[in-house]
Parts: sequence; C-alpha cells; structure tokens
Amino acid sequence: MSELGDYALTLALVIAVLGIGSGVYAGVAKRPEWTRVAERSLLVVFGFTSLAMLALFTALGTGDFELRYVAQHSASTMTLPYRLAALWGGQSGSLLLWLWILTAYGSAAVFAHRHRHRNLMPWVCVVMLSNALFFLVLTNFVTNPFERLPHTEVFSDGNGLNPLLQHPMMTIHPLMLYTGFVGFAVPFSFALAAMITGELGTTWFRTTRRWTLFAWAVLGVGLLLGGRWAYEVLGWGGYWAWDPVENAALMPWLAATAYLHSVMIQEKRDMLKIWNLVLIGLTYCLCLFGTFLTRSGVVQSVHSFTNSGWFGFIFLAYVALIAAVFFGFVLYRRSALGSPHRLESVVSREAGFLLNNWGFMALLVVVFWGTLLPVFSESLTGERITVGPRFFNTLAGPLALFLLFLTGVGPLVAWRRATAASLRRQFILPAGVAAAATVVIGIVFFGEIDFFAFACWVLTAFVMATVSQEYFRAIRARVTRRGESPGRALLHLFRTNQQRYGGYVVHLGIAFLLVGVSGAAFNEERLENVQPGDSIYIADYRLQYLTAEAIPAQHYGGAKARVALYRGDEGLFVMTPEKRMYWLEEQPTSVPSIYSTSREDLYVVLSAIEPDGSATLKLYRNPLVNWIWIGGGVFILGSVLILWPHSRARSATAA
Amino acid sequence: MSKGAQIALGALVIAALLGWYGYTTLAGGGTYRYYKTLDEFRADSPEIGSGSLRLHGYVALDSIDRNVPERRVAFRVQNDPPHRVGASADTVQVFYGSLETPDLFKDGAEVVVEGHLEQRHGDTVLVADNVMAKCPSKFQARAEAEASQAL
Repeated sequence: MSELGDYALTLALVIAVLGIGSGVYAGVAKRPEWTRVAERSLLVVFGFTSLAMLALFTALGTGDFELRYVAQHSASTMTLPYRLAALWGGQSGSLLLWLWILTAYGSAAVFAHRHRHRNLMPWVCVVMLSNALFFLVLTNFVTNPFERLPHTEVFSDGNGLNPLLQHPMMTIHPLMLYTGFVGFAVPFSFALAAMITGELGTTWFRTTRRWTLFAWAVLGVGLLLGGRWAYEVLGWGGYWAWDPVENAALMPWLAATAYLHSVMIQEKRDMLKIWNLVLIGLTYCLCLFGTFLTRSGVVQSVHSFTNSGWFGFIFLAYVALIAAVFFGFVLYRRSALGSPHRLESVVSREAGFLLNNWGFMALLVVVFWGTLLPVFSESLTGERITVGPRFFNTLAGPLALFLLFLTGVGPLVAWRRATAASLRRQFILPAGVAAAATVVIGIVFFGEIDFFAFACWVLTAFVMATVSQEYFRAIRARVTRRGESPGRALLHLFRTNQQRYGGYVVHLGIAFLLVGVSGAAFNEERLENVQPGDSIYIADYRLQYLTAEAIPAQHYGGAKARVALYRGDEGLFVMTPEKRMYWLEEQPTSVPSIYSTSREDLYVVLSAIEPDGSATLKLYRNPLVNWIWIGGGVFILGSVLILWPHSRARSATAA
Repeated sequence: MSKGAQIALGALVIAALLGWYGYTTLAGGGTYRYYKTLDEFRADSPEIGSGSLRLHGYVALDSIDRNVPERRVAFRVQNDPPHRVGASADTVQVFYGSLETPDLFKDGAEVVVEGHLEQRHGDTVLVADNVMAKCPSKFQARAEAEASQAL
C-alpha cells in the first residue's frame, strides 16, 4: 500500500507538469479545449494525492513501522484517532496534507467554475498546479513520507506522537490552520490570473469572496484552537506567547482581514485596487513564509518542528519566487489599476477603510519585525537579539484599540463625505453609551485598572451600541414599512445582506475577545508548597490540598493531586491537576485543572510531588479569560452567518 | 494635498507616536535580550550587568539541585547535549528563583535560560528569571544511543 502511495505521488508530479503546460498553452493560444485538459489535470493530481493520503493513513493505522515516518511519529500504544492524526505530526506528512488540501481546493474551484470565467481558468489552473508542483517536488525528492527505513534501523514499535499533541484539539488544529492557509491560494490564483489576462475589474475577488471568507474564518478558528490548546494542555496559564510559530499563523490572518475589508471599497467605489492585489499577494506569501518559519528553525521556537536550515531555505526561495512573480505583475499592470474616484474627505467610510488597512499593516509590521528581529540583528550586527511578549503587547495593544475604534466608527460613517448632520444622527447614541461607560467604569474600577483594559471596555461598549443601533434601525424600518414581525425582519437582514449583518456579529466577537485579553491586567499567580491538609488563599478562594494518588497504569503514569476549592464556606469543586509521564516517549506533561466562570478562571498546576510528600502547586487567577472563548464562539457564529448559502441570496454589495 | 496623502500623513503621525510610545515603554532592561549559546557566551565574555541574556544550552547531568524550602532550583548548563558528548568541563551555574520548572526540564534537556549575570563567590553565574525547555529530537537520540551500543 505504501508503495502505491509513493507511485501516486510520482504520477501526480508528472500530471502536474503536463497540466501546467496545457494551461499555459490554453491561456496564450486561447484554446478552450486545452483549458479542459488543465482543469482535468488538477482533478487527477487531486486523485493521486488522495491515494497517497489513503496509503499513509493505512500505514499509520496498521502500524507499518518499516516506514520512517510511521516509526517517528506513531506507536502501537496510541489509540486509532491519534495514530491517524500523526499524519500531520511531522514534516513530510504535513507537507502531503498541505498538498492534498491545495489540490482539493483547486478541484473544487475548477468544478464550481466549470461553465464560467473561461479566460481566467487556464491561468488559475497554472498557478494552482505550480504551487502543487512545489509540494510534489518536496514530497517526492526531498522529504518523502513513504521513505522506508534501512533494515538495520527498523524497530518493532514507533516513537509515538508527542504527548502534548495527544489531545482532541491538537488533532484538528493543524487541519484547520492548513485549510485556512491553503484556502487563500484560490483568491491568489484568481488575482494572478486576472493580472495575466488583464481582466482587472471586480470579477476576480467577487468570484472568490466566499472562498476567502471561508479560509479566513477557518484560519481564525485554527488560531483560537491553538490558543485554547495551549491554555488547557501546556500548563503555563496562558494562551498566546507571541512565539514565532504562533506569529507565523497570525500574520496571514491579519493581512487577510485587511483584504476582506478593503475589497468592499473596490466593489462600491472602484478604489484601492492596488491595495487589494497587494493584500491578497501578501496574505498568500505570508502563508508560505509562515510555513518556512515553522520548518526552518531560523528563529528559535519552543515548537521545534525541525531544525534543518537548508530545507527551510528551499521554502524561502519559493516564497521569494512567488512574491517576485505576483508583485512583478502588480507593477506591470499598475497603470490599469488606477481609480476613477478620489478620496473626497477624511471623514468618510472610504477613509475609515483606508485607515483600517494602515492599522492592520502596522500590526503586521510589529509582529513581523519582532518575530524576525534575531535574523535581522544577526545579519546587521552579528548579535542575535530577541524580544518577548512585552514587546508585542506594548505595540500591538494600542493598534488593537485603534482597530476596535474603527470597528465601531467605520460601518456608520457615510460614504464619500460625512456631513455634521449625518455624524450627529449616527453617533449621538453610541457616543453617549461610550461616555456613560467611561464614567461608570472609571468610578467602579478607579485606581485598579490599566489604560488598555479601560479603553478596551469603553470601546467595546461603543461597538455594541453601534451594532445594536444598526440592527434596531434596520429591523424597525422593515417592521414599520412592511408590517413584518421583528423575527422575520431579522431573518430577512441575514438573507439579503449577510455580509454586513453577519460581519457585525464577527465584530462583536472580536470585541469580546479583546475584553478577554484585557483581563490579563488583573491576573494573579502564586507558587506554593503545601502539605496535605494545608490551605492556600487567593482572592476570595480557598484551596485545600487533600491528597495525591498515583494515576492508574496505562500508556502514561504519574500523580494526580486532589485540591478542594472553596469560596468562603461554599465548596465549589474538587480540582485534580495531574503530572503525567508518558512511558514510551519518556516525556512528562502537566495537565492543569481549571475552574471556569464568566468572571474568571482558577487554574491549578501540579508542579511536583516533593520527596517529603508535600505538593508544589502553581495557581493562576485569570479574570475575564473566558470572554476570549466566548468571543471566539461569537466570531464563529458571525462567520457562519456571512457564509450561509441562501437560495435567494443577492450579492451583498452594500457595505 | 490630496485626501489620500492626508490620510497617509495621519497614519505616519500615528505610527510615529506609537513608535515613541513603544520606545519609551520598552527602554530599559529585559525587553531586548542577546541570544547566545554557551560557546558564544564564553567567546564574547559579556560583562556582568551588561543586560539581559538568553542562553541556549543543555542541562548538565546530575547538576539539578531542587531546594524546596528555599523555593529555588540550581543547575549547570553546558554547550552540547550530554547524550552526544558526555559530561563537559565547561559549564555555567544557573540559579532559578522558582520551583516551577518546565515539564521537559531534566538532565540533558535542551534549555533556553533568560536572566542576567552576577558574580557570586568569584564565579560568574546566571540568575534566571525564566527557564524554557524544548522537545528533544527523540528519534535521533534513540538511534544514536543504539548505534553506540552496537559498536
């Protein structure tokens, strides 16, 4: 079966080359029948890649330890879901996954547009297949998942998957990230095809709008899952460390968010055309660049995927090539990318979106600079200089607040030029709410709150007021004019203008998420060593260490502590933090115990059972942290509302 | 000046303000740390108190001293992994003022230690405010160990 997978990858490579040739010929010579050949080549490559995936899944599922990849990342002691998830636990398997998702998207795009865009499709196929070719070259010649071990090295069992990854959230986190990253290949391909053919109108991004939204939403979920996993599994009480690998996934999401907003301006006012092409090019290049960062070891990360520097540089060269081609075309077409309209006022929706673009770009620069500072500093001064979370939090905080402010202001400000009257009408209520919030929060939390949290909460109140006003006015209009019930009116809003009203829900989700982040200003942590029966006091909680017991033997062992949690005299919960040892992998892990309320989390880690029988416990009190996950849920709801297919959906042009 | 240029200028002003804010907030110790391996550290001989440091190395075998009453852990760091080179003569003493070490912290673990240098009893020691441990490359380690046993 594994040999079948190997051959499938080889055949896929051959077909990809043929497909690229057909596509180029079809595009240059305008031969539609050759477009079909290119499209079918993409489908065939997807078919062969699927075969390879199936072969690798089979090898992992059945424990074929003659394959190096299976031996390195799987073990017979693992349950089946984790044995299968090990496919993306290592280098070559994850590259195969990337390839499969890319060709899946390509096939879906080909199928969806099989009767349309005949001019664009040959070039879309060329770009998609060229990307696929890169990954096929890697998986065939550089890091082959079907490589067999020499006989002298075959073991009877594998090394097992890193215990930290043996968690349900971790099994789907890479899938979500890749589905997000790779999804941007579709709008990227259409953008490049549009520049090659000269069809520079709105077609390329309107056609790919849903694809982009889907990829963006899935990437957002992937980021949230990563944060939640870090919080639940890693036992350091946090969810985001600005680690290079985390930043590598965040950067394309930032560029994509800017892009999704910016295209609304091109749609409505035929402006920001160059911005939009640059943003989608940047998004996709950052996806590839992020993959390079994660695999090259060029920046030290606690997520050590691999440290083969030379391999990473293959990726870097590829990103440079893609960027050169794409931005080369943007330069080539720049004269055709002008706009018939000019920005008429700095107080206008267009200006708001432009500021939004700049805000996201600034955030991107901060994250990029901080992540790559060791590389830049070493090449310039010979010394590697690194920065930690404080750098990122200090600079990203104000930018996040600025973007939150625009979230409230942008949708309400008039197009072209806002008059004083329109500003008054739109903003008097939300501004009043913000003022009231300022006073209330200022009084209640006087002296206790830092500026970021204060501004964040006031702005969230402002955003909630603007969103509520928008919904209220739209529903009221339909109720009074058409006599509809409010419920029907609301449904109608989601049906006919889902991008706008679903987008508002997404904005609320982001605001809640930032509120959750702002709670970090109030975080408390303690490290205590306690004997059985002793209590620890933190805020209005009392934690009494009861006992520790050995974990029943399985593929891991260790100790579980029992800690009774009280608030006053009220018993709340028995917390059971664990310290596990995974025998095969010889790796200890801490499993925290978390008591969650909407107000805060109490998070307990068993650091060690000491030789004298005492327990060293690390306690964290994390106020408001659950608003991150609540905000994430609202974000997902908003994304679903935006993407929901409606049978009578009109394209949502009103932004 | 066109409106677009006005916006760009405004964005530039905001960026400058942010840069000034970042610069003043982040100035002082702790934000920017030199990242060095132990060999580089020895070669460069950083001065005591010359700023924060990130030292990359491996926990020397049998060097971990966990002092529960004093709530601190002391250990030594060497440049190369013990499973490859054995014990090394060149190590640096690290004092970490917490019992909360990472799960992967043990003899031979690959670590990155953040802290500053001090002189104690005539020795240069690293007083750590953070210790991070990385996942070792298990397949490599086991294969090498088995190969060396076979010889």
